[in-house]
Amino acid sequence: MADVTLIIDGREVQVEPGTTILKAAGQVGVRIPTLCYHPDLEPYGGCRLCIVKVEGMRGMPPACITQVAEGMQVTTEDEEILETRRMVLRLLLADHPSDCLSCRANLDCELQKLAHELGVREHGMIPIEREGTVDESNPVFVRDMNRCVLCARCVKTCSEILGLHAIDFIGRGHRTEVGPFLGGEIAKSICESCGECVVHCPTGALYYRDVPPQVEREVKVICPYCGTGCGILLGVRKDKIVSARGDRQNPVNRGNLCVKGRFGSYQYVNDEKRLTRPLIRKEGELIESTWDEALGLVARKFGQYQGDAFAAFSSAKVANEDNYLLQKLTRVVQRSNNIDHCARL
Amino acid sequence: MRLEQRIEHAKDKWKRLQEGERPLIFVGSATCGLASGAGEVTEAIHAELKRLRVKAEVIPVGCIGMCFAEPLVDVKLPGQPQICYSQMTPRKVKKIAKAHLKAKRPLARYAMGVHGGVAFGGIPPLFELPVLKPQVRIVLRNCGIINPVSLDHYLAHDGYQGLMRALSMKPEDVIEEVIRSGLRGRGGGGFPTGQKWKFCRASSGDDKYLICNADEGDPGAFMDRSVLEGDPHTVLEGMCIAAYAIGANHGYIYIRAEYPLAISRLRNALAQMEESGLLGDDILGSGFSFDIQIKEGAGAFVCGEETALIASIEGERGMPKPRPPFPAVKGLFQQPSNINNVETLANVSNILRRDADWFAGFGTEKSKGTKTFALAGKINRPGLIEVPMGISLGEVVYGIGGGIPKNGKFKAAQTGGPSGGCLPAKFLDTPIDYENLARAGSIMGSGGLVVTDDATCMVDIARYFLTFTQSESCGKCTPCRLGTKEMLSILERICAGDGRSGDIELLEIIGKAVQRASLCGLGQTAPNPVLTTIRYFREEYEEHIHKKHCRAAVCKGLVEAPCQHTCPAGVEAHKYVRAIGRGKFDEAYLIVRERMPLPSVCGLVCFHPCETRCRRGSLDEPIAVRALKGAAVRYGARAEAKTGKPAKPTGKKVAVVGSGPAGLTAAYYLSKLCGHRVTVFESLPALGGMLRVGIPRYRLPEKDLEHDIKIVRKAGVVFKTRAKIGSAAALKRKGFNAVFLSLGAHTGFNLGVPGDGSKGVMDCVEFLRNVSSGQPVKLGKRVAVVGGGNSAVDTARTSRRLGAEVTILYRRSREEMPADEQEILDALEEGVNLEILTLPIKIRSGKKGLKVTCRRMQLGDMDASGRRRPVPIEGSEYTREFDSVLAAIGQQPEIPGRLGVDVGRRQRIGVDELTLQTSVPGVFAGGDVVTGPASVVGAIAHGRLAAEAIDRYLGGSGVIEEKLAPEEDLSKLPPLSSETRARLRPEMPHRAVKARVKNFQQVELGYSREAAVLEAGRCLRCDLEE
Repeated sequence: MADVTLIIDGREVQVEPGTTILKAAGQVGVRIPTLCYHPDLEPYGGCRLCIVKVEGMRGMPPACITQVAEGMQVTTEDEEILETRRMVLRLLLADHPSDCLSCRANLDCELQKLAHELGVREHGMIPIEREGTVDESNPVFVRDMNRCVLCARCVKTCSEILGLHAIDFIGRGHRTEVGPFLGGEIAKSICESCGECVVHCPTGALYYRDVPPQVEREVKVICPYCGTGCGILLGVRKDKIVSARGDRQNPVNRGNLCVKGRFGSYQYVNDEKRLTRPLIRKEGELIESTWDEALGLVARKFGQYQGDAFAAFSSAKVANEDNYLLQKLTRVVQRSNNIDHCARL
Repeated sequence: MRLEQRIEHAKDKWKRLQEGERPLIFVGSATCGLASGAGEVTEAIHAELKRLRVKAEVIPVGCIGMCFAEPLVDVKLPGQPQICYSQMTPRKVKKIAKAHLKAKRPLARYAMGVHGGVAFGGIPPLFELPVLKPQVRIVLRNCGIINPVSLDHYLAHDGYQGLMRALSMKPEDVIEEVIRSGLRGRGGGGFPTGQKWKFCRASSGDDKYLICNADEGDPGAFMDRSVLEGDPHTVLEGMCIAAYAIGANHGYIYIRAEYPLAISRLRNALAQMEESGLLGDDILGSGFSFDIQIKEGAGAFVCGEETALIASIEGERGMPKPRPPFPAVKGLFQQPSNINNVETLANVSNILRRDADWFAGFGTEKSKGTKTFALAGKINRPGLIEVPMGISLGEVVYGIGGGIPKNGKFKAAQTGGPSGGCLPAKFLDTPIDYENLARAGSIMGSGGLVVTDDATCMVDIARYFLTFTQSESCGKCTPCRLGTKEMLSILERICAGDGRSGDIELLEIIGKAVQRASLCGLGQTAPNPVLTTIRYFREEYEEHIHKKHCRAAVCKGLVEAPCQHTCPAGVEAHKYVRAIGRGKFDEAYLIVRERMPLPSVCGLVCFHPCETRCRRGSLDEPIAVRALKGAAVRYGARAEAKTGKPAKPTGKKVAVVGSGPAGLTAAYYLSKLCGHRVTVFESLPALGGMLRVGIPRYRLPEKDLEHDIKIVRKAGVVFKTRAKIGSAAALKRKGFNAVFLSLGAHTGFNLGVPGDGSKGVMDCVEFLRNVSSGQPVKLGKRVAVVGGGNSAVDTARTSRRLGAEVTILYRRSREEMPADEQEILDALEEGVNLEILTLPIKIRSGKKGLKVTCRRMQLGDMDASGRRRPVPIEGSEYTREFDSVLAAIGQQPEIPGRLGVDVGRRQRIGVDELTLQTSVPGVFAGGDVVTGPASVVGAIAHGRLAAEAIDRYLGGSGVIEEKLAPEEDLSKLPPLSSETRARLRPEMPHRAVKARVKNFQQVELGYSREAAVLEAGRCLRCDLEE
């Protein structure tokens, strides 16, 4: 389809039909503040910080969700727009704890950044008393609804990315909260604890239980669990792995991780119980041995058990090629069809 | 059976019913009727029929809209017209059955009106009554007339004629017809219905949906419920027509589950439609197929918004989505959808039944047809009404609604439900249509119309509506979710007495942001009640914030007791009433004295604003607070001896100019409590100002006035009568450190008509002054008094006492006379004549006296004061002869030019509102000379304020709190008044007319001790409420 031409702040812009004003503005370097908007998610239009003026449209439509039209004239900033944005932000701040230093999202908080960007230092309002739910039932993350700005990113992450829809809005008015079906603890819901919602939360409303230490560098790896092959960026500090996050460049997971990839993919590396050498049971006791001895023992035993006496069980954690080779070994060398894989469970 | 045959059959059946041998009894049985007792009335009817062995048809019908008159029962005997009985009870049923059913004589006593245009048996035609006459019933045409569960009844009243006509037309032509009718959405938005249909018809999709929005959620709105309960088919017919026009095959009715009766009526009607081929495949052989499903909503207000409604039908949380895409393009289940409100659809069936021109014949240029309103609040006849667009607000409030109960004063009308605005009296003559309401800052909404009076606090009402919207906000967008909450918090703070300066501005800026930036209509309109009350009643907000005063005495945080709060001088009426209840008149006297030095005066002549908000008044009658104060003085004045000595002298000198109530009060406090040396200068020979020369002695006897002046004298104040003063500055030069100007307003207005300078024409101020100071007054026998205020009545009664025949000429009606009601009654009792709606336009001196030409007036439209404007009747002039004409049409101060302070409009001295300081430092002014003619107690309040300010000016603390009465022992209270029936105040004994009309003896004789104690016992003790 032919491009749509519109005017943003006096500049002519050509974009594809169906583009939003926000994206069109981005193409010409016009920044419009946003909060509920996230590129991974369908636009929501709830926070009203990206409001703009469009010639001929009533009120102030949000740029994140309003689609461009031919000949549209958009003003992204004037005194009235700024005043309204500041008021929206002041309201959010009045509804938000003001103890940034004790917040886990301090210095990594979009609300904080917006306040800075819009020059709002004090909200000057009556603080809105909120008795938000603090849900600590989940072993890996905490939900503190007192810091929630109701941007819906977590809700949409769970439904749009995970397809799980474990959480949604509960209640009305300023008491509205995000929570699992019929309220209650997240641990008792269908939530799979993948932590994607935490990643998408702009404030400190959702945070990991463990405080990740400062990372010195990151290493790109593939998740050691299943065969999906998600990319992980492992954070390293003092030569130890201290964190894991999804690799947005990886075409398989585009940054997403599941509960195992995010919360269980590296801790065992430095665990003192981890086996680093083979053990051989001798006279009922496991004795530390060498790789040569261990592999030799295995090869000998393989030779003793051929046919139906032999069975092999493979793991989703290994690559397809490895699984193929084990299958080949079982069927051709060991002459057994007793080969199976954990993913069949 | 084909529909045509069925219609013929139904019409025939209806005719047989109407002309049959059996009596017909119609019972209004909608939810409202049932709630007010229609159920037991119906039972009583059946019991009576059985007892009297009368065979009659008892037909439940919907609601005709007259809530104030429910339960309603209509009785029609063969050969007689249908009689409507109101406020039915089982007891009334028995009497009516006996008289009407058995003896065949309608019981006019209980009847409200008769159907049809002719009166019957002394009963007026129902639709000629003021409540129904201005109404035009299109949507409600069958409500209260037919049995809503009978399809035949609907068919007999031309039901489904509209659908048949529509099906014979092309869908595009149906749309064109609706466009031509000018119908606009009745749900509140006011978007042209036909246009909306056109968009939807033009959209392509696999399916199309027609949705009826019956999610009526505004508090106080019940238009949709009434139509659905009283005439469901009219809405369903409209749905079929709309679906045919846009090409939809599926319909939904989204209705709140709290409407069980409406839902059951709909289910019944839908089954009847299916049975008769009016729904389903190939409707009436037209090839058009349509089905309707009922979706019950859980009652979220926001689900009235169309995108939220769609989400709710789809099973999602009811939250709005931004538009575009509009539902007409992508609506229910992503298909083109059209949503119309119940009332809109009910109009559609009528437009197609008749035609577009007929419909467009009602209303204004841009707003066609009629609108239903749910009339509620402080109104005599609340109910559901349907009026042509363009009717004035005043006609609705005063004509149909019958005005404000207890002769109250209209304050504002709140239109459009919680998202609407409050319109003050100046809009009473505004024609109601979409544009005018929007211009005034309100909305049509779905048609809620709440009337408020003086007892309504506008800050509180804004707070109330915000409580609703903030809790119904869906939570999606920030401005609505948090802005409404924040505004509510600020309003709560103001109502609690903690308002801060800047709060009004903060409310405005939040309100504007919420309007601009909210996602859906809920948020965009939620600030309306706040912004309109600020726009029209800003002074009430300011009073709450700066003076901690709620003039309606509603806001709990500010009001200890309404009587005390409404007293300008802040007298703790609730406490002295309670003291009297315990028989402690001394204590009561001291409580009065704690706030004023003029207890006798106020006990006799105060206009008692304290009684206007008395909560007892909403039960039966306000406590007689003023009369009780009179009793406190009568039986407790000896306690004056316990009021203590003046404070230690400060050596500062204050001059008070004028010895009226303001001057006396200021002088008293400045001397007694502050210790300044006060000299009062009075130009007349006697003290008291207007108390002496304005108020006649039969209301305020000499001894009582002297009692109070003595109190001031005892406080150490020095009086100088016949005193002439120069400028304020000269007084200061004479050694007075501060000056208080309380000159009063002693100059009456001239009539301003030709001949008003003739001999025998006087102003009332001069007249009353002369009479009270014993000057000779030549009055003659025939006296006309022009005006309707308290001065007019004082003048009339004084003239009467001088032996004259007195006629009061007043240009408005009796109800609008501003004079005290009791005074008017007393005057009439004394033989004063009253000629209302009369305006003198010319006076000529004749041989036999003054020839006064008058013109008759009639009441026209509402003016800005909320009263009907008097308009002259052309050619109504007539001439009357009088010996004297006394003008009592207003008065103003007279300021000697040499006084040296700035004088403003109408000769009033300009002062700082909070300190009463004039343009000259150290010179203060108060009372009528600042406010214009006002009240005694208002002047006392000014006197107090001036004393505080002057003391501060002279270096004092400005505190004039006097603690005279002992601490109240709350453990010894007699039991609280707990009668279950109305108990009125004891009648005030009056001197007999004969004994008083020839002299100036006191008319009001005062309560006995016993009567006073009894009366005090009626107090509900608002201040002790937990």
